[in-house]
Amino acid sequence: MFPTMPAREARAQVTFRAMAAALSYPGRRQTLPVTGFEAFLAIAESLVDLESSYTTNSRDLDAQVGPLGGRRLAIAEAHYQFYPTLAAHDLIELREAPVGTYLYPDHSATLIIGCRFELGLLLRLSGPGIQGATEIDVAGLPEDFWMLRASACAYPLGWDVFLVSGNALIGLPRTTRVEVA
Amino acid sequence: MNLSDLSTPTRDYSYAFLDAFAKRELRRRILKAIAIPGYQVPYASRELPIARGWGTGGLQVSLSLVGPQDTIKVIDQGDDQSVNAANLRRFIARMSGVATTFDTLAATVIQSRHRVPEEILSEGQILVLQVPDPEPLRRATPSMTIAREMHADADYAVMWLNLYEQIVRYGEFTGGASYPVLVHSRYVMSPSPIPRWDNPKLHQAAHLTLLSAGREKRLYAVPPYTDVRPLEFEDVFFKVESQYGRRDRMTGATHKFMDEIAHADGSSTFSLSDTGYQDKLVKRQSGEAVTVGATYYDDHGEFYHAGFLKS
Amino acid sequence: MYVAARGGEEAIQNAETLYRALNGPLSPALVEGIERALPYLVDRVMAEGSLYAPDLAALAIAQTGGDLYEAVLLLRAYRSTVPRLAYAEPLTDADLVVVRRISAAFKDIPGGQVLGPTLDYSHRILNTEALSRDVQPEPPAEAEEPAPRGYFSVADWHRLNGLLAPTAKGEEPVAPGELPDVTRDPIAFPAPRAHRLQSLARAETGGVLALGYASMRGFGLIHPTVNEVRLAYADVRLRHPITGVAFSLGRARISACEVVNNMADRLELGFAATLGWNEVKIIAGAMLDMEMDKADAHPAHTEEFVLYHTEAVESSGFCIHYKLPHYVTFNSGLDALRRVLLKRDTEQRKRVIDEPVVVEGEEALA
Repeated sequence: MFPTMPAREARAQVTFRAMAAALSYPGRRQTLPVTGFEAFLAIAESLVDLESSYTTNSRDLDAQVGPLGGRRLAIAEAHYQFYPTLAAHDLIELREAPVGTYLYPDHSATLIIGCRFELGLLLRLSGPGIQGATEIDVAGLPEDFWMLRASACAYPLGWDVFLVSGNALIGLPRTTRVEVA
Repeated sequence: MNLSDLSTPTRDYSYAFLDAFAKRELRRRILKAIAIPGYQVPYASRELPIARGWGTGGLQVSLSLVGPQDTIKVIDQGDDQSVNAANLRRFIARMSGVATTFDTLAATVIQSRHRVPEEILSEGQILVLQVPDPEPLRRATPSMTIAREMHADADYAVMWLNLYEQIVRYGEFTGGASYPVLVHSRYVMSPSPIPRWDNPKLHQAAHLTLLSAGREKRLYAVPPYTDVRPLEFEDVFFKVESQYGRRDRMTGATHKFMDEIAHADGSSTFSLSDTGYQDKLVKRQSGEAVTVGATYYDDHGEFYHAGFLKS
Repeated sequence: MYVAARGGEEAIQNAETLYRALNGPLSPALVEGIERALPYLVDRVMAEGSLYAPDLAALAIAQTGGDLYEAVLLLRAYRSTVPRLAYAEPLTDADLVVVRRISAAFKDIPGGQVLGPTLDYSHRILNTEALSRDVQPEPPAEAEEPAPRGYFSVADWHRLNGLLAPTAKGEEPVAPGELPDVTRDPIAFPAPRAHRLQSLARAETGGVLALGYASMRGFGLIHPTVNEVRLAYADVRLRHPITGVAFSLGRARISACEVVNNMADRLELGFAATLGWNEVKIIAGAMLDMEMDKADAHPAHTEEFVLYHTEAVESSGFCIHYKLPHYVTFNSGLDALRRVLLKRDTEQRKRVIDEPVVVEGEEALA
């Protein structure tokens, strides 16, 4: 009787809700319906199509995301950027990622980055979506990334970041202040 | 592999009416809106089988959010049963199969025109407000192009001047509903035509608010725990609508937003605008077991964030 | 006692049932009849609905009892559910099967003035005979020679004579998939030319006419000449995804108009085109297209004003939304109003107390 939801669409809907919750409550872990490489693919499927652009440093992911129809653009232009692993040398190009303009701050990059939510760097977060402050542990990211992010995020300009570890997701919108503790 | 593996069964409509492209576009925009509180994100805005100006902006957002696990509540002027609310609820349910409710506490998604419920929304709940005109600067300039530049420059002098003129001419702020707010100390935003009574409910709220104007093709958001301050002066304060002396004719409740019911002899009586809340109070009074949530304003009219409303 | 519209779903059902009962039954014959007998109306609904589907447009007209705003909304809503499968090949003047083509700029033009099907020079007299008996149209006389397949473009003549820039600004050919699409991207101003022409193509005819006429009557800066009006059939051509061979999916009725304006040192071109045959819309639209480029255009002829306010579905929808209850907002306004009145009242009373009391006649007594 009701229109049915195909499995693919169900996955996209659950993934999107996790992402919306992640940006709404930065620092809080949300759960994705799938894990690891599949998690990146699920996020890509919920964001990328003929009408958006992407880039990635993973050849495997590129092979899967390409057929979704998105325009593959350079880092300086792509709106959705996937980094299952982010190495120190990736940061050189990453600094070019778009931060939007004052007229259109939404014309900016969303970075989806793989890492591990385990003992590593202790980050202290504050800003919208957080009552007072909260802390997260992140490992597997170059430490300089946080400096780079801080310099890119001059509100209202900036990047919006999703950190993925297994099937766990943490959102860091540009409004989140991140201090390395 | 055979052909049936590659295709999906033929359906009259996609789940939640919108096709996958439309939903993805809305979802991309919603995420940006949450990341830039109060900033109006332009979007394509598909036509729906509901007339433009009748909540198609809110409806598109709701349709892009919902899944089978959701429970939706739809209100218009606070009322679940008004014909437009009933129509939108019927459409969402028919297209997605979600459960519907009149109870604010039971809803995961609440689509509303012109009201925020009286019971405090909690974390994880999403309030979707229908917006006729997203532009708080409209009175200063009818041009969307100029208004966008003013937002880019955070040039809101004209808004302050306007408030100052109101004080000089009338001794009071004369704004009714849609009272402008400053979000996260950056963007001036129209909270949609909610009464001033509801404005403070968006400040440091536990829930996410999404606002969407289908006709004007703009959507924006107030994330949870975000500063939302009405424009006011250090010595002249924003005031919510006075509910002083008003008593709900059905339950005797006070200090909630009331509809004024006019009588032929020139007198008025009052009725709770939030009918879902009213229904629960009626049930409680008749001895039924019902959970009534804590409200933003207590029975003495005190707002739950002490000190936020100045007097 | 005032009671808000309440009663929910049952009331909605009953209201719709009543509407449908008053409008009478729907049938394939009715829909086919509308499609056959009212092609100009069907054209208009398809253009404003941005969907070329004569049978669905006829159905929309039938289903709404001829309420055109509702019919257009039906088509647009249906359109939202249809996936985009491919992009058609671009068309040039030479690709059109032209049935009517006239130019006001020259007495004669290469290929000739082709009147085609028109009422322009007919006497507009009601044919009351048809009230009492069947009236068959006379069969048209056959031409001695078949019409040419394509016609020379008048604008090309201007270009050959160096009167018009080789390619008008922003009109360089683009791959169809790369074209900005007003149904997929929100419009921003200044709008890309593609957005402007697409918006005009699906604009509400009456709105385009009202603003265009205001420009023509004297609120405009320009006094252009109709360079060419064309009514034609256009093949919708796709390329086969595997073989790459172009093929036609079918033909659509389209109309296009160019106007030219003398800018002292050059000619300038304004353009509008739409699905279906609708001369009023394309002439007014082409004039607006040109007017919208001007620096000091009347506020009603700026791009933002024209494109926002001629949108059929948005304008009509917002207009009827005023029927929805607004008592919360009205009440909020009343509260602000009462505060002002109370303040004024208090101040007046204060003034009466503060000012020295002058009793009438007191001075006379003193």
